[in-house]
Amino acid sequence: MAVYRRTSRPRFTLLLLILTSVTLLTLSQRGSTSGVIGAVRSGARDIFAPVQRVVTSATRPVGDFFAGAVHYGDLKKENGRLRQQLNEEQGKVLQATDAERERKALLDQQNLAYLGDIPTVSARVVDASASNFQQTIEIDQGRSSGVAKDMPVVSGAGLVGRVIEVSRTRAVVLLITDPTSAVGVRLTGSGDVGVGSGEGQRNPLSVDLIASATVVKKGETVVTSGLQQSVFPPSIPVGKVRTIKKVPSALLQDITIDPVVDLKRLTFVKVVQWSPSK
Amino acid sequence: MTRAKVGAVVLVAIIVQRVFLDGVHLGGSHLDLMLLLPIAAGVAAGSETGAVVGFVAGAVADLFLPTPFGLSALTFSLLGFAVGSVQEGLLRAAWWITPVTAFVSSAVGVVLFALIGAVVGQAHFVRPALLGIAFVVALGNAALALPVVRVVTWALARSGPAAAYAR
Repeated sequence: MAVYRRTSRPRFTLLLLILTSVTLLTLSQRGSTSGVIGAVRSGARDIFAPVQRVVTSATRPVGDFFAGAVHYGDLKKENGRLRQQLNEEQGKVLQATDAERERKALLDQQNLAYLGDIPTVSARVVDASASNFQQTIEIDQGRSSGVAKDMPVVSGAGLVGRVIEVSRTRAVVLLITDPTSAVGVRLTGSGDVGVGSGEGQRNPLSVDLIASATVVKKGETVVTSGLQQSVFPPSIPVGKVRTIKKVPSALLQDITIDPVVDLKRLTFVKVVQWSPSK
Repeated sequence: MTRAKVGAVVLVAIIVQRVFLDGVHLGGSHLDLMLLLPIAAGVAAGSETGAVVGFVAGAVADLFLPTPFGLSALTFSLLGFAVGSVQEGLLRAAWWITPVTAFVSSAVGVVLFALIGAVVGQAHFVRPALLGIAFVVALGNAALALPVVRVVTWALARSGPAAAYAR
């Protein structure tokens, strides 16, 4: 076993490290992502991107094996759900009388009809949340593809989140379930607007500012409000109402919604090239 | 030579973390290999080395995290120093002390990260899920502790005439 000598040097070293860390923290908090720290982070992501790509493609079978072993229960459930869904869909297809109409509906979904003619950038999800404390994903498109900070990110089903950091070839997306995420939402039934806030990975979003007099139905679709200066364009599906809780004598009601997008299994997403001024 | 080896270990650790561990979730949390490096350095070489390795590993981890830059560096430095200080007080270390140390110090490290985060404006880090995150990270790091300590001990081992004088 190693023999240690007690001197004051370790404490002095620790003090230096603490001071350096606090300085970095201060710079980070002041300059946000636009300053020196942001540039260093952005550069690191760009340098790391090809390394990550090579290692991932070389070791994918091993990674898939371990992921499969860890998520065996989830995969089994998912498999069952998909089988059931497939059976239902097959039944629907058999009953369908207008095959062309269905084909067109599917194509409309692919083209993300809710976005109108707003241009989008397709991206692959290359990394899950790097932190246990923030719900984010990393995508393989960045500034060079026209991705910018605060752009909304969607999938075929609806809203995923918004870009919070962007480098030349990569971008980090804050998911709508993150506790720091807030989305202006509108109830499709009543048209009332509120704010949907993330409550963490495994929890539904909570919706505030809905008057208790408003009639809300379970399963009702909630979309982005797109009010003036909103980060998100209007009418992107966000979630479906899960619970409604009315407290007597309270002016507002407590509503929670389940995201329409399965945020745990994202593979491809689209970055919407939209800014609030448009 | 030691610095190069430590640098290589940190580099491999961040690749393993980003390519494999970030995607493997247990109960909504993933393992944190970077947090284990300062603990291993503290166990292997004492408080000062634990703090320095903690700072380097934390700063590298901070490059890829959406959390404030410097938060991991600060937390890992304090953790490496604390683990090293405790380890220096032990006269004999049984093999199981290392995983137990990794378990306890990882849990403390996660909570410390959240508390310092809350102080610098990330109040949402301190929430009920924190205990679950701490448990998953602690459990994973306890399992990885023995091989990681061996690797870090190899990286920190000095060679050549200077090492001979040090002995």
